[in-house]
Amino acid sequence: MPAIAFSPELLRRYDRPGPRYTSYPTAPQFRGDFGEDELRAAALASNGDPIPRRLSIYGHMPFCVSPCFYCGCNRVITRDVARGEQYIERLCEEIDLTAPLFDRDREVVQLHLGGGTPNFFTPAQIGRLLSRLRERFSFAAAADLECSIELDPRFITADEVHALAAAGFNRASLGVQDFDPAVQEAINRVQGIKETRAIVDACRASGMGSVNIDLIYGLPRQERENFRRTLETVIEMRPDRLAIYGYAHMPKLFKAQKQIEAEELPSAEERLALLQLAISELGAAGYHHIGMDHFALPHDDLAQALERGSLQRNFMGYTTHAQTDLIGLGISAISQIGDTYSQNPRDLTGWQGAVENGRLPVFRGMRMSGDDQLRADVIQQLMCQGEVLIAPLERRHAIAFRSYFADALARLAPLVADGLVNVRHDRIRVSGHGRLLLRNIAMCFDRYLDQPVAILPPSFSRAI
Amino acid sequence: MSAPAFPRSDVRILADDGDALHFCSTCAFSQACIAEGMHKHALLDLHVLVEHVGPLHAGEHIFREGDPFVAIAAVRAGTVKTYVIDPNGEEQVLGFHFPGEVIGLSAIDGDRFPCSAVALDTVMLCRFSFQKMALLATRVPGLQRQLFRLLSRDIGRATLLAGDWAADQRMAAFLLAMSRRLSERGFSAVRFQLTMARTDIANYLRLAPETVSRVLRRFQDDGLLVIERREVEIVDQPRLNALAGPVLRD
Repeated sequence: MPAIAFSPELLRRYDRPGPRYTSYPTAPQFRGDFGEDELRAAALASNGDPIPRRLSIYGHMPFCVSPCFYCGCNRVITRDVARGEQYIERLCEEIDLTAPLFDRDREVVQLHLGGGTPNFFTPAQIGRLLSRLRERFSFAAAADLECSIELDPRFITADEVHALAAAGFNRASLGVQDFDPAVQEAINRVQGIKETRAIVDACRASGMGSVNIDLIYGLPRQERENFRRTLETVIEMRPDRLAIYGYAHMPKLFKAQKQIEAEELPSAEERLALLQLAISELGAAGYHHIGMDHFALPHDDLAQALERGSLQRNFMGYTTHAQTDLIGLGISAISQIGDTYSQNPRDLTGWQGAVENGRLPVFRGMRMSGDDQLRADVIQQLMCQGEVLIAPLERRHAIAFRSYFADALARLAPLVADGLVNVRHDRIRVSGHGRLLLRNIAMCFDRYLDQPVAILPPSFSRAI
Repeated sequence: MSAPAFPRSDVRILADDGDALHFCSTCAFSQACIAEGMHKHALLDLHVLVEHVGPLHAGEHIFREGDPFVAIAAVRAGTVKTYVIDPNGEEQVLGFHFPGEVIGLSAIDGDRFPCSAVALDTVMLCRFSFQKMALLATRVPGLQRQLFRLLSRDIGRATLLAGDWAADQRMAAFLLAMSRRLSERGFSAVRFQLTMARTDIANYLRLAPETVSRVLRRFQDDGLLVIERREVEIVDQPRLNALAGPVLRD
């Protein structure tokens, strides 16, 4: 892929906060008047579909033994293994409360454990969680089941990886972020190349079919030179998938980020150069750019889904499985059932209290309106296919595109002028430039960005 | 402009209402009346018509088994399910009623409703006195024919599924019957929502819910139709017809 030149002036205009659109509407739109009753009704309605959607399950495993300074995830720093034991117990109870909502012939085709650090828990504890899920839900046959877990290579042994594979995990996602010692020191995450490679090898040897590695660009002390070395090292490990997230510096929102020196952060121009470097290095190494921050080797399901136009996006990022209803378990986890979103409490006390009292721990959510569904459809297509076909969209939602989206098209006009996207009579297509600014393009179709946000002030990370 | 997909979702035009001079577009009787030169103002003079009721919301009952039979209701918008509770306490679905169709006809030889009727989505009705309608029918032969037609269809639907048909045939017949009935009232014949829950379809067709899904998934894999959530698009009507042919027999 040729390097794409952006002028600093253009960059400044587009380097503004924006959502990552793992959902539309985004979580700040969720409201407190959506609770347990509404979730039950949504699950019941979803069972009533002529072909009820299959199920995805996300389990949030919030504990970490050490704070990485860049982290914006909902996590709890502790070394107290007893807390882990108690958390698994509560999760099992939440499974008991949740599973009866869904008809038993609805197969689970995707399970993902994220964090936090899922491998804060022992393989035995995770095995218990998995057995409870298998008791309460109908899991698809192994060949159709995507069972993945995020791993911190610093805190897991090869034997433990084998134990997880034996329990049924067939995908692993390893956190790396950056291999440069200076960068690692600045983010409080010192992780050797050798130990990381050993875990990649263990995943392969254990029979896990797919390994993902997460990197972050825009970290303190990152430069093109040292980031190139990180990329080369990672490419040598040959993960099937790579995610390269942009670091979002929002120390007011994420306390750990206060430890990061703002003056050590790369500029907007430098950030974009880092991203472009990653895209070109990975492209040269045979990886396909799936969209936003995701890359995959041609044989991988994601690359194949992109090829077929069947790529989807949900709270777990890009996936081949978004035509599912998603059940979120654990603190802060988000569920997507039918046309509703709902979220668990973000604090342990709130979540635990609800589960112990036999209540579904929902603290906020929303039912999508027809307009929400239409805009979600547009944004999904932009993010996953890089284009929106107008006629089928008009038919699906019974609208006249140009009049309905007159405002959005007006907002899009400067992006068209900048060559990020072109608007034809039959489709809207994202350009090569535009693929790096998908958030900005999607934001034109976001109805809520014009309005004051109900609960929290807008606090999205930067678009680039 | 192609026919709209059932059901209408815009609350402002949920039912295509008439006025003092015009029939509602979904009226069960307007065509029969107009064919006989009987226009709405003439009907108004006879005080047959008609009380508009609604909107009722999903889960609200229109009448329950055993309620005194006072009026017949015609659906103007939405879907109504009729059912009885059998001696084992199990629900038995009798049928689904769409705009332009009449519910409560099976009550006409008794003074109490023999079944319950519940709204499955947002439902608008009009209610009229059966006695007055019957009286009117003696003056308007077309109306009488229409009444008999609705009556026999109501019974015919119940017997339709009594035969020993395979799950595929039942499902195909169900979809085609729904398509025909909706298109008679100006809705799209190929695109509509299954407004009833999977368990209701299963109950009505005497199939297991999993079988309903399995058959539909197979239809979808075979390219007969496309299903997205509740929405059905019939893609290959001839093949669906061939499957349903023996059941529908026409």
